[in-house]
Amino acid sequence: MTENTHIGQQNIYKPAIMKIVDKRDEAPGVKTLRLEFQNQEDHDQFKQRYRTGMFGLYGIFGEGESTFCVASPETRKEYIECTFRQSGRVTSSLADSEIGDLVTYRGPYGNRFPIEEFYGKNLLFIAGGIALPPTRSVIWSCLDQREKFSKVTIVYGARTVADLVYKHELEEWQNRSDIDLVLTVDPGGESPDWQHRVGFVPSVLEAAAPSPDNCVAVLCGPPIMIKFTLISLQKLGFKEENVYTTLENRMKCGVGKCGRCNVGSIYICKEGPVFTAAEVSKMPQGEM
Amino acid sequence: MTKILLRDKLDDCIARWHAAGYDVIGPQKNNNIARFAPVTKASELDLESILPERTVKDLFFPQTEPMLRYQIGKQKIDTEEYLPPRRKRVVFGSRPCDASAMAIDDPLFGWDYKDAYWFQRRDETVMITIACTAADDFCMCTSLKLSPDSPLGSDVMLRPLTGGVGWHAELLSERGREAFERIEALFDDDANAQPEPIADVPVKFDLDACREWLANPENFESHFWKEISMRCIGCGTCTFLCPTCHCFDFQDEGDTYSGMRRKNWDSCSFALFTMHTSGHNPRSTQSARWRQRIMHKFNYFPGKFNLNSCSGCGRCSRQCPVDMGITETLQEITKVAK
Repeated sequence: MTENTHIGQQNIYKPAIMKIVDKRDEAPGVKTLRLEFQNQEDHDQFKQRYRTGMFGLYGIFGEGESTFCVASPETRKEYIECTFRQSGRVTSSLADSEIGDLVTYRGPYGNRFPIEEFYGKNLLFIAGGIALPPTRSVIWSCLDQREKFSKVTIVYGARTVADLVYKHELEEWQNRSDIDLVLTVDPGGESPDWQHRVGFVPSVLEAAAPSPDNCVAVLCGPPIMIKFTLISLQKLGFKEENVYTTLENRMKCGVGKCGRCNVGSIYICKEGPVFTAAEVSKMPQGEM
Repeated sequence: MTKILLRDKLDDCIARWHAAGYDVIGPQKNNNIARFAPVTKASELDLESILPERTVKDLFFPQTEPMLRYQIGKQKIDTEEYLPPRRKRVVFGSRPCDASAMAIDDPLFGWDYKDAYWFQRRDETVMITIACTAADDFCMCTSLKLSPDSPLGSDVMLRPLTGGVGWHAELLSERGREAFERIEALFDDDANAQPEPIADVPVKFDLDACREWLANPENFESHFWKEISMRCIGCGTCTFLCPTCHCFDFQDEGDTYSGMRRKNWDSCSFALFTMHTSGHNPRSTQSARWRQRIMHKFNYFPGKFNLNSCSGCGRCSRQCPVDMGITETLQEITKVAK
């Protein structure tokens, strides 16, 4: 699935400069930044290369770079959105940045979700917590050409109501008649006015029982959720080849040279981050 | 014409190369550590050591190097790029294992995305290698199916003549020929000059058997890894002194107003190498890290580039403070594989 694009650019480690044009609080400690390229050449290169599923390295000079997905869809390339949890040096510094500030960006890197292969199929999106951003990129990439796909089901869960990200978009999806949205929070995470499900994603998914016929599943979440959701999908009759997920690991270069993100022989940065469940099950589990 | 380069002409060679705009770099011994450094005269060269302690990798992928200087203003960020200075270089007196290692890493640094820091230096360097006529107990090039006179990665191969009077030169590339044109007048054609026999390096392990064992997924979780890495203290010496180890890190020196982004060596032996911000570490034990190093060199890297990520220099074993290295590990794998 690797896209072999030879990059002729002189210094592959030199980041593009981007301006923060919008900033949103999504959940406690989770923020979204909308970034715009400052240099036309950088923007043209991004527009030419970006496909949903790819990631980037976002940074602040003096702090470093951090890897996360491009949360905006491939159908909207005028800007880049990234959503991240404030947890280390770089993400704290990004979170402290204001609209109008400049940040750095390298990418897009990695492979992608092959959405042309999903044409005519039913789509099942399953996400947990902070893993909605990579899923959301695929969701909007498909919704922006809605007519090419059949039924769309989104199952999204978070620990608590407060931890749900993209609340405004969840509401929009809720109100659309061409999307089935199933929202859930972990037991104990509900608020008094919570109208949706309470329970963990795997059991909520089993109760919703989407049909595996002519269906592709996109699954993103914390490792523990992935593990149990894969079992549920199997019970529902989904084949591993029809379940896509995205992996992450610590990265520095993003282009397969710095040597740290591999799981077994697979470099997440170049051969991933998008894999089918069939590919993931062949990788070493546990210590890698 | 057989090209014979006499040792006493070496000073002239260096002067002619300098005159032609080449920097001349060779192994030099200082404080008991031999490393590659610029030379102005032949007497500065350490051509007696079997292998310098530091590798020739230092010349292509330095331990630390500046990438970008940044200056952050109110509405702009100024960056100044640092690429290697454009200088032609002659490396005189690398060993075949070191020269091979550079060629082994070429596909890695050029895998889709070309690392300009590596390739600019590679393209500007003439590698003049001296075939080995002596080896020590740690040398293991033959175990990697290379040899004390492997041409891989060399532009010129010099074979020492008996009596230490000079070398017989084989020109292997256009770049080598170009550098040697500058010193053509200095060649001798003594037909009686005999090259010394190359060093006898015994084969220490069965590479094919090891690779087969490593490729078997069942052995990934083998208790073997825990036992073999018990002694490892995770110091990273083996990775820093390995000519093929290429892992790196980026670090910003300075503050959020001005400073420098640098590319530094990193090591898979270090726990922090793979640790996530959350604290989760996919390689949390030393045995997982040592397994990664061996698997990377003899399973993952060959799978991608059809080359072993090891040229058999033996520095990992030679310099290891607890006497373990690739040789010891692959010898043990050879045993369990049978």
